[in-house]
Amino acid sequence: MSKITTADLEEAPLATLQRLTTDPDQPLHQGPYTSPLRDERLAAILGAALGILFTICFITGLYSHLHQHPLSWLPVPSRPAGLFRFTQGLHVVSGIASLPVLLAKLWVVWPRFVSFPPVRRLTDLVERIGLFPLVAGGIFMVFSGIANIAQWYPWHFGFPAAHYWMAWVTMGAIGAHLGAKWLIARRALARPSRRPALAEPDPILGTVAEEVHDGLSRRGLLTTVAASAGALTLLTIGQTFRPLRRLALLAPRDPQVGPSGRPVNRSAANAGVLRSASSRDYRLQVTGNVTRAQSLDLAQLQAMAVHEAVLPIACVEGWSYSARWKGVRLRDLLDLAGAPPGATAHVVSLEANSPYRVSYLDRDQAHDPDTLLATHLDGAPLVPDHGAPLRLIGPGRPGVTQTKWVTMVVVG
Amino acid sequence: MSNAPAEEQRAVAHLDHGGGGTRGARIRFWVTAALGWGVIAYGLRGMLHHHIDTRPPNLARFVIGGALIHDLVFAPLVLVVGVLVARAVPGRVRAIVQGALIVSGCLALFSYPLVRGFGHAAHNPSSLPHNYTANLGVALGVVWGVATLLAVLALRRRSRSCSRDSRPGPA
Repeated sequence: MSKITTADLEEAPLATLQRLTTDPDQPLHQGPYTSPLRDERLAAILGAALGILFTICFITGLYSHLHQHPLSWLPVPSRPAGLFRFTQGLHVVSGIASLPVLLAKLWVVWPRFVSFPPVRRLTDLVERIGLFPLVAGGIFMVFSGIANIAQWYPWHFGFPAAHYWMAWVTMGAIGAHLGAKWLIARRALARPSRRPALAEPDPILGTVAEEVHDGLSRRGLLTTVAASAGALTLLTIGQTFRPLRRLALLAPRDPQVGPSGRPVNRSAANAGVLRSASSRDYRLQVTGNVTRAQSLDLAQLQAMAVHEAVLPIACVEGWSYSARWKGVRLRDLLDLAGAPPGATAHVVSLEANSPYRVSYLDRDQAHDPDTLLATHLDGAPLVPDHGAPLRLIGPGRPGVTQTKWVTMVVVG
Repeated sequence: MSNAPAEEQRAVAHLDHGGGGTRGARIRFWVTAALGWGVIAYGLRGMLHHHIDTRPPNLARFVIGGALIHDLVFAPLVLVVGVLVARAVPGRVRAIVQGALIVSGCLALFSYPLVRGFGHAAHNPSSLPHNYTANLGVALGVVWGVATLLAVLALRRRSRSCSRDSRPGPA
């Protein structure tokens, strides 16, 4: 055992540091942290799995972003009606499943944080700097996503904007990391999956103390990570996949629990619209680029509400349900008001202080025969929590843009 | 200065064909680094541009804080638990205990905000509708039930193989 003395420290701090981190007897040496499980192959397999999950999240996330921040030159399809329900369900499922994969991956590479010397050449420096957006970004994306579906906001920033821009940072870091690790990953993944000889006992991890088979093998760890991801999926996916509803013990919403047996994200009371939504003075205004502006009361709307459609409502937070809606076709209202053919529309809510007060419909969405201002849900009149007297429901749209308590349609 | 990373050079030596050698690795490294950092810069620019929504100082606290909490608190804690498991759990069932601990940890981490009920909204009957403490208990019960079953099977298999064949050897 070589001990560090005060004299050593005074004489050459750099040499001392080097000895501390490279001498096997010293605490900072990497040796004690290594486990036979911590190898390139495990890192590559977990990295590949995480890369696939994050890419799925990124693409489906961009699709959701495009719905909420439409681009005039890139219309989003409103058909199939269940497309957004599928993509957003996949986004949340993949994000939840990446929790154990991310933690396992970080566990495998963690000793590299204490490796010495940290940088041997310029490429090492570039790669090391890139690890910060990679690791911090990955942790942030999974943490903020899971907190958001639990509707837990311990921060002051706006979740959608922060999650969206950090996704670019994280994906950029993954791209650079992939380039830096390409050959190693290829070699590690291509090699026949033989378990490395577990000859060295490991006092820290206890992987191989007295026998070869003690502790998890690589395959055992991968099975455990897959089992964790599978368990989290099984215990939450019932919030969007009806047949597994009874297994959804850890889902933040139940597709059959809520007002009228259906969940909502924001109730009428919490939106501050209880009084205005039930007022006798309620009118729906149809204004903007029209020749005959309309102001319709409830009786007139009820008389027009004859069209029915079965459409899903899919929240960005991953829960969804399909229901039978009855109401007024938006395109009939546009015709009634004398809107030009191919007009777009903004639908405005009574809810005053919400970033989702106004919802935009492009030409196809506004004229889709199933885009309704609904008065009924599953055959019963809407209750205030579901957006009474009138809510927007259209095919293939995120729940946040299916505006409730509609009071105005502005034709563009 | 601009050599390929040392790891990459080692990797090249092990590859029989393809990959493009060190020169190819060097080009790939710098091209993907440039593209990756371009995308990172786009993200950072967007974050600063939309600063009213993203609140960069607060966001930075969570991004940096998350990494620090993982590296300095969570990861060492896992190491300590690993040491304790290695000391306390007999080798024959250690893998099963490690596996059950990992699954339990993931379930507990995920359900933490649900169990604490941070997101519960008053006046909304669909907000966090379950008893998540009880549900997590049920899920953990199933995990440890399965683990116990596997451990019993492992112990039985071991004792049977020992009684049939007294020679020491790999299980």
